[in-house]
Amino acid sequence: MNTAVVLTAMLPEHLLLLGIVLVIGLEIVGRGRRAALAVAFVAVAAAAAAAAELAVSGFSAAPFAGQFSVDPTTLLVKAMVLAFALPVLLMARDEFAGGEFPALLLSSLYGVCLLQSADSFATVFLGLELMSLPVYVLILLAWRRPQSAEAALKYLVLGGTATAMFLMGASLLYGSGGSLAIDAFPRALAGGDGLARAAVVLVVLSFFLKAAIVPFHAWAPDAYEAASVPVTAYMATIVKAGVLLAALRLFGRAELSSPMLELIAALPLASIVWGNLAAMRQPSLRRMIAYSSIAHAGYLFYALLGDPAGRLQAVAFYLLAYGLMNLLAFAALPAAADDLGRDRLDNLRGLFHRAPFAALMIGVAMLSLAGIPPLPGFVAKFLIFRNVMASGHTTIAVLGLIGSYLGIYFYLRVLQLMFMSPDAVVAGGGGRQRLALGASVACVAAAAVVAVFPGWIIGRF
Amino acid sequence: MAEAVVLNLVLFLPLVGVALLVAVPKESGALVRGVSLAVMVVQLALVAWLYARFDSSVGGLQFETRVPWIADWGVHYQIGLDGYNILLVLMTAFLGPLVVAGAFTAIAKDVKLFYAMVFLVQFAMVGTFLAQDLFLFYVFWETMLIPMFLLIGIWGGERRIYATIKFVLYTAFGSILMLAAVIYLVWSLQKTTGITSFAFSDLVQTQLPLDVQSILLAAFALSFAIKVPMAPLHTWLPDAHVEAPTAGSVILAGVMLKMGTYGFMKLGFPLFPDATQLYTPVLMSLAVLSIVYGACLALVQDDIKKIIAYSSISHLGYVMLGLLSLDLLGIQGAVLQMVSHGLVAGGLFLMVGMIYERCHTRELSAYGGIAKLLPVYSVFFMILTLASVGLPTTSGFTGEFLVLLGAFRAAWPLHTAGNDLPLVLALVAVTGVVLGALYMLRFALGFLYGKARAPHQPIVDLGLREKAILGVIVAAVFALGLFPAEPLKKTELAAKAYRELIVTPRLTARAP
Repeated sequence: MNTAVVLTAMLPEHLLLLGIVLVIGLEIVGRGRRAALAVAFVAVAAAAAAAAELAVSGFSAAPFAGQFSVDPTTLLVKAMVLAFALPVLLMARDEFAGGEFPALLLSSLYGVCLLQSADSFATVFLGLELMSLPVYVLILLAWRRPQSAEAALKYLVLGGTATAMFLMGASLLYGSGGSLAIDAFPRALAGGDGLARAAVVLVVLSFFLKAAIVPFHAWAPDAYEAASVPVTAYMATIVKAGVLLAALRLFGRAELSSPMLELIAALPLASIVWGNLAAMRQPSLRRMIAYSSIAHAGYLFYALLGDPAGRLQAVAFYLLAYGLMNLLAFAALPAAADDLGRDRLDNLRGLFHRAPFAALMIGVAMLSLAGIPPLPGFVAKFLIFRNVMASGHTTIAVLGLIGSYLGIYFYLRVLQLMFMSPDAVVAGGGGRQRLALGASVACVAAAAVVAVFPGWIIGRF
Repeated sequence: MAEAVVLNLVLFLPLVGVALLVAVPKESGALVRGVSLAVMVVQLALVAWLYARFDSSVGGLQFETRVPWIADWGVHYQIGLDGYNILLVLMTAFLGPLVVAGAFTAIAKDVKLFYAMVFLVQFAMVGTFLAQDLFLFYVFWETMLIPMFLLIGIWGGERRIYATIKFVLYTAFGSILMLAAVIYLVWSLQKTTGITSFAFSDLVQTQLPLDVQSILLAAFALSFAIKVPMAPLHTWLPDAHVEAPTAGSVILAGVMLKMGTYGFMKLGFPLFPDATQLYTPVLMSLAVLSIVYGACLALVQDDIKKIIAYSSISHLGYVMLGLLSLDLLGIQGAVLQMVSHGLVAGGLFLMVGMIYERCHTRELSAYGGIAKLLPVYSVFFMILTLASVGLPTTSGFTGEFLVLLGAFRAAWPLHTAGNDLPLVLALVAVTGVVLGALYMLRFALGFLYGKARAPHQPIVDLGLREKAILGVIVAAVFALGLFPAEPLKKTELAAKAYRELIVTPRLTARAP
C-alpha cells in the first residue's frame, strides 16, 4: 500500500478529518467558539477544492483495493456535494454558536464522502452510519420544543431499522455469493437463488427508507420540521444526495429486469404522486419541503430505470439543480424571533413587500423545484425522463411526468402567498443574517450558470 | 450578419430592460415608466428594420443564429425569422410599447415589478416565435407562464388568485403532455435515423406510424388548443381575461392566444401530417364549434371584458379553420387574422381598461350613451368594433374573408366528390360572421347610445396619451385592411411550405 496514493486519493476525507480534529481541539482548549465555524468552512472548502482538482487532473486510484476507490467522475460529484455544505455552514452562523455543530457536520460529510467511493458493503455500511448518526444529534442540537425529541427518536428508530435491513441484506448476499464486494449486488440482481433475491429486496428497501420513499416516508416531515433550518437544508440536500449516490453505486451498470424493474418504478412513482399531493396541505415550509423531497427522491430513483451508462450523469445533474434550489430557499428564509414561526407559510404572506430579495429568491427556488423552465430544475427533470423514455419505459415516464404536474400547485402557492397576499403581522425578526445572504447569492449565481450552460455542465459528469 | 445580431438583440432587449429597471431607484415611478417605454420602442424599431430587410422571395429561415446549447442532446440555440413568424414578431413588438404606455396610470402598486414582468413575458413571447429548436421553443413556451401568473395574480381584480391559478394549471397540464410527446418524438428520430436533434427542420423528417402520430398529435394539440383556446378547452380564458389587469388582457388576447395557433401551424400539423389529415374533420368541427359557441356566449354577457374574451374564442376559430382548409388563401387569411385579432382585441381591451379606470365597473348595463359623454372615445370604440365585425377596409375583413374564401375553395371539390362535411362546416362558419356583427353591435349599441349614464360622473374624455395609443392601433388596423398585399407577400412562401408539408403524405413517401 502506497502512502502517497492513500494520501492523495483520500485528500478530501483527510482534510475533513483535519477539520474535525481542529474543531474538537479548539473546543477542548475552550477558545474560539466562533472560530469553529470558520475552521469547518475552510476545511470543507479545501476538501471540495481538493476533490475538484483531483477530478480535473483525471486522477483515479484504489488505495484500499476492494474497499475504496476514486475516479474523476466520483471525485467531481464528491466536490459538488461537499460544496453544498458551504451554504449550510454559512446559514448556521445565526443558529449555532458552539463547536458541536461543525464537528458533527464534518463527521457526517465524511460519511457522505466514504459512500461515494465505497467498493464493498462494509464501506457502504460505514459511510451510511457515519453520515446518519450525527444527523440524529444535529436534529436535537437546536432543542427548542419537546416535539423535536419525538421526531429525532422517530428518525433514529426508523434509521436503525433501515440499517438493520441493510445489514441483513448484506449478510444474506454474503451467504449466497460469498462476497461483500458491491459487484455482488448487480450479479444478484441479474439472477440468483432465493437468498440473493431476498437480499436485493432488503437492501433496496433500506435505501428507500433512508431516502424517504413512500410508504417509508413518514419520518421525514416530522424530522425536517423538528430540525432547525440549516439542519433541514443539510438533510434535504446532502443526506439525500449521499443516499442516492450510494444506491447508484450499488446498482452500478446493471440492467434492471422484472420484477425489480416494477419495484423501482412503482414505489418512486407513488412517492412522486403522494409527495406532491400531501405537500399541498402543509402549514410550514419545512414540512412542505419534506414532502417535496419525497417526490424528488422519486424522480431520482426513476433515473435508475434509464440507460445504465447515463444514470450517474442524470442523478448528479439532478442533485446539482435540486440541491442548489433547496439551499437557496432555506438560505433566503428571513430570520424570525421564534424558530417554529420562521417558516410558517402564513408568515410568508406579503413577504415581497417586507423583504423583496428574499421573496424573489424563494420564488426562483420554488419554480425551479417545480421544474419550470428556464430554471435548472427543468433541464434536470428533462434529463431523467428522457433517459427513462429512451430505455423504452414510455408509460412509466408519462405517469411520472403527470405526477410531477401535481406538484406545480403547491410551489405556486408559496409564490401566491409571498407576492399576492396581504402582509402578515410578523413578530420582530432575528439578527442581520449577512452570511446567509451571501449563501443565497452564491446559490443563485451557481444556479444561473447551470441554467445558461446546462450542456457544458452535463458534459462534465 | 448584422441582421442576425440585431435579431438576437431584439430577443434579449427585454432582459436588458429588466436589468435597467433593477438599477432605477424605487421611488421614481416616472423614470421606471420612461425606461420601460423607451426599451419597448427600441425593440419595435429594430423589428421594423428587420421587417424591411426581410426578403420575401426567399423561403426558409433568414437572419439565423445557431449555436450548440446542450451538445450531448443535439439541442441548439437556434433562432431566425421566416414567413411563419415575421408578422407575429412584428405584432408582438408593436403591442409592447402600447401595453407599457397603457398601464402608466392604471398600475400604482409595485410598478417596478410590474414592468419587469411585462418585459419577461415579452422576452418569452418573442422567443417562442423565434425559436427554431423544439427544446428552445418549449423553454420559452413555459417561461411565459410565470410572469403571466404574477401579472394576473398581483395586479388583477377581485378573484385574481382563482383566475391565475386556473390559468397556470390549465396551460401547464397541456404542456406536460406536450413535453412527454417532445421527448418521445426526439427519441423516435434518433432511433430511426440516428440523428439526435431538436431542430424543427430535422424533426419534420421523422417518419412515424399513424397510431403514434395520432397520439403525439393529440398531446401537442391539447397543449396548443388550450392556449388558442378551442372549445371545449376554453374555460380558463374568460376568468383570466376578466381578472387580469388591462396590460395582462392585452398580452393574453393580443399575443399569447396566437401562440396556440402558431404552434399548430409551425409544429403540430407539419410534424404529424398523416394524423392531421386523418383528424381534420374533428379538428375543423372543433374550430367551427369555437366560432359559433364563442359568438353565442359573447351575445349574452353583461361583463364587457367577457364579451371581448368570448369574441376572441370565436375569432381564433377562424384562424384554425383557415389553417385546416389547406388552401393557400385560407392559410394566408389565417395568418392575417392572427395579426388583425391581436390589434383589434388588444385595442378593445385597452379601451375597456380606459373606461374602467374612469368608472370602476365593467358591467355593460351600468353604461349608456357614452357617445354623448365621451365623443372621442366613442369614435375609436366604433372603429375597433367595426374592425372586429369585419368591415371592409379594416384588417378584420381581410383576414376573415380570406379564411372563408379558402374554406369554400377547399370544400367545393370535396363536395363534388361526395364529402359534404367541409362545405357544411364552412357554411356554419359564415353564420359566425353574422353572430359576430350581432354581439358587437349589441355591445356598441348599449354602450354608446341610449340614455346617457355612467356609474361615475363627471367623466373626462381621452387624454393625449390615450389618443396616441388608440390612434396608432387604428392606423395599423386600416393599414392592414387597405394594403394587405405587402404582409401577405412576406408570408406567402411559408404558407406554401406549410401546405406542402401536410399534403405530402409521409407514410407513403417511405414505402418502397
